[in-house]
Amino acid sequence: MKHSKALFVSIALVALLALAPMGLVSADGHCEFDDYTIKLGGLAPMSAPGAVAGGVAMDWAFKQAAADINADCGVQIDGVNYMLEVITGDSEGSPERGQAVAERLILEDEVDGMVGVYHSAVGLATMGIMEENGIPTIFSEPWNDNVSANGIREFDGAPPRFDDGIDHIFRISPASSMVGSVVTDWLIALGVEDVVLIVENTDYGQPAAADEQARLEAAGVAVSQIDVELGTEDFVPILSRIQASAEPPDAIRIVVTGETSFNLTQQMAELGIAPTPDTICVTNQIAFQHVQYWATVPDGNYCAFNRVGIIPSLFNDTAIELNAAYEMEFGDIVPSFGMASYDAVFMMVDAMERAGSYSDAAAIVEAIEASDILLSQGRYYFTYGAHNESMPADDSMPDFMWHQWPDPIVTVMQYFEQGQSSLDAAVVYPEVYQTHGTAYVVPGTSP
Amino acid sequence: MTDAFTTWLLLAGPLWAVFGLWALPRFAGSRKVKDETGLARLQVAGVVGGFALGPVGLGIFYLQPRWITRASLTVGLLLAVFISSQVLVRIEDPNLPSALWLILAGPLWSVIAAYFIPRRYREAEADDQNALTAAALGGFAIGPLIFGLLWQHTPKISRDWIIVLGSLGAWQIYTLFALHNADNLCVAAPYHITYLAQQTANGVVIGCIYSLMAVGLTLIYSVQGIVSFAHGQLYMVGGYFSFYFLLHGSNLLSELTGTEISINPLWGIPVAGIIVFLMGALFERAFLKPMHEGLIERVSEYAILITFGFGFVIEYTTLAIAGPFPQRTDRFIEIRRFTFPRTQITDQFTFGPINIIGDRAFAMVIGILLIFALLYFLQRSWTGRALRATSQDRQAAAVTGINPTNMNTLSFGLGSMLAAMSGAALIPIFAWVPWVGAEMVGRSYVIVVLGGLGSVPGALVGGIIVGIVEALGAGCHPDPSRGAAYKEAFALVIFALVLLLKPTGLFGREQT
Repeated sequence: MKHSKALFVSIALVALLALAPMGLVSADGHCEFDDYTIKLGGLAPMSAPGAVAGGVAMDWAFKQAAADINADCGVQIDGVNYMLEVITGDSEGSPERGQAVAERLILEDEVDGMVGVYHSAVGLATMGIMEENGIPTIFSEPWNDNVSANGIREFDGAPPRFDDGIDHIFRISPASSMVGSVVTDWLIALGVEDVVLIVENTDYGQPAAADEQARLEAAGVAVSQIDVELGTEDFVPILSRIQASAEPPDAIRIVVTGETSFNLTQQMAELGIAPTPDTICVTNQIAFQHVQYWATVPDGNYCAFNRVGIIPSLFNDTAIELNAAYEMEFGDIVPSFGMASYDAVFMMVDAMERAGSYSDAAAIVEAIEASDILLSQGRYYFTYGAHNESMPADDSMPDFMWHQWPDPIVTVMQYFEQGQSSLDAAVVYPEVYQTHGTAYVVPGTSP
Repeated sequence: MTDAFTTWLLLAGPLWAVFGLWALPRFAGSRKVKDETGLARLQVAGVVGGFALGPVGLGIFYLQPRWITRASLTVGLLLAVFISSQVLVRIEDPNLPSALWLILAGPLWSVIAAYFIPRRYREAEADDQNALTAAALGGFAIGPLIFGLLWQHTPKISRDWIIVLGSLGAWQIYTLFALHNADNLCVAAPYHITYLAQQTANGVVIGCIYSLMAVGLTLIYSVQGIVSFAHGQLYMVGGYFSFYFLLHGSNLLSELTGTEISINPLWGIPVAGIIVFLMGALFERAFLKPMHEGLIERVSEYAILITFGFGFVIEYTTLAIAGPFPQRTDRFIEIRRFTFPRTQITDQFTFGPINIIGDRAFAMVIGILLIFALLYFLQRSWTGRALRATSQDRQAAAVTGINPTNMNTLSFGLGSMLAAMSGAALIPIFAWVPWVGAEMVGRSYVIVVLGGLGSVPGALVGGIIVGIVEALGAGCHPDPSRGAAYKEAFALVIFALVLLLKPTGLFGREQT
């Protein structure tokens, strides 16, 4: 009897030990999920002619955010856990395609919110669809000022475009003017007298260049502009034009995205136009992806570039973890639009949880406006919206600050060693973020 | 109207050209041969001599008709161009010569001449092969004078006519452009010659590279009569095969030897070519052969869709494997020209004032060598002749023992191979992504049609023309901000003009 009791206890203990891991799994997956899955639509350019590399990074960020949220019991609304799914729609970087995909996501997939968008043209083209269908939206990359400025104009203007009088569009990427002002302020501080702007012919490039040109000219800097088409490979004829000018320009600023900017920067360096001691090279933010940059712009040492997003030395824990995951996947540093896309998903989920609904658009918009959340790029909040309509009417506060995250960090960085990691590149401007005590590393020197 | 212009109009220029056209054949004709060729030459001499030197020129040709040679007429033409350009650039109001040109020559007379003169040739049952081209160019360059040259005697129009009239028209455009854009880099002395030479060199270099890709396309068309819509993707995948061969080959060699070894991208070119040749040949056997065997009902549509689908599969498979991030191989050759501090890094060949990026020059040489190797193969080898024979007449070729089915496979394989080798030659130059072929293939279609569908030399010449036109267009456009954006449009304008004037393309043959 004793034996059988001991045997029973032993069996029970063994069973308990055997089940313990299952219990742990259960503890980890303690969340009981509701049958309903909350869906977010993610717009990103997954195929040409869009910036596919950007789209892939954004898609990865959406999926990573959803995985992280689901691992932590999903979206928790009124004590119920909902699985989260982000359905990526391929905008191809085209406004028409973007509109078609946005409609499909809203009407067929019945998404509860939208995130993402890389190209400004797609953002501008799809905003109306999201507004008409009452879909809360957080854009993570389009820069055109009007993406957020349209909100205040439509919201305040008469007649209102939206039946419910709600502006559903938010943006956590910077507006072009916010980026342009940093680069132009830097160039002006360096004392440049003439600048050549090489600009892509898009809804991002043209307004951004116009803004930078206005700022530079206001400071007495002579500006000439050269427009190029995205996807162009050979820039030598137009660069020869710069080369043939009597005096080399003080700076060449490239307002061109994607691999087109890589080709342009490399050909400019190969021809010996910039970077040189006479001419500053300011290339696109994608130069921050140092693996891609050095693979395709081997002569691009000493080029500066605008960096949007938190600088590596200020990465918080979320950013460090996200960057590690991205590096494991792609072997490169996480781009700002990857971080912003990741954060956009978290912001939307946070707003739904606070609103207590995944379907009440008005409540979700209200919750997004009241956001105060620390994510990979820093603390997100919105100064102006329906919660605070008191935007100064004068020029002191530009329209794009409506539903716009006011604090994206924009810096100017510069490589100063061939093959250098962007983590080690010098932050040269603004002064408060400078890492090497200099506003510019002259080619051929070290900071 | 300035004094220089008035003096020129009195002493030389268009009025004396008209007079020369009428007078010289009439008065010198009796002393010179009276056959058709001689008469036409006298007319040309009258126009050139009158335009260049007025009565002096006509007097020289009248007194010494034996001096009317091709060389003297060329010299006279150059003199006419030089003198008139010197006069025109001194005119303060550029609108005057522009208006005169539009009245006395230009597009209006081009259209009129192109409408009437070919009809006249057909009515006279004369050889009208080049009549349309010569009439249009002539009307454009010399206005109604072209009627005097061509109407009455309908002389045989050689290629020289077209070259001379085309050059004259181009010079007029250049002069008018110079009048309206005096500060443009392409016209502002003293550096405009250097600048034009630099831009022309840029165009020739990239044009030769364009040609290599276009040659493959034209080869496929000439034998199979289909346009491969997978050509851009085969070009792209050729670059990737080279990239991965170099990457893994270098790693393997480095591991085996224990030292860092980097394989020159030159080796990637044949490797990519061989792999893609096999891909193309296999695809042809599997999907195009049934078409030639009569198993497919709607052949044209099938060819478009199946090659389009092939390209689609290649592109998205590459995207899945290689990812969207741009790649690039090492350089072919390291040339360091230290001209610090003006230029910190330059990898260029320098020929006097002309600089060419080293890798581009290398790729151009590779392109030319491959095209000439292909021409040699087509002209001298039995298989090459068999390919040509098949392209000319499949049934006749079959009768002589050539297997057209094998020729189809070979042509598609070779065409694919050339696209891939072109890609492998360019991956050290451009950032390489899975959709890199889209822009290039669009240009290739323009080149092959411009050069003449099915013509290998046409593809070479067409590529160079497109390269030069794009470079000069981007480099000389009056608005620097728009020049680069309109680059492709310039080539399309030339493409449209050539097709209007010569629908078979520059070297194309009539469909039989």
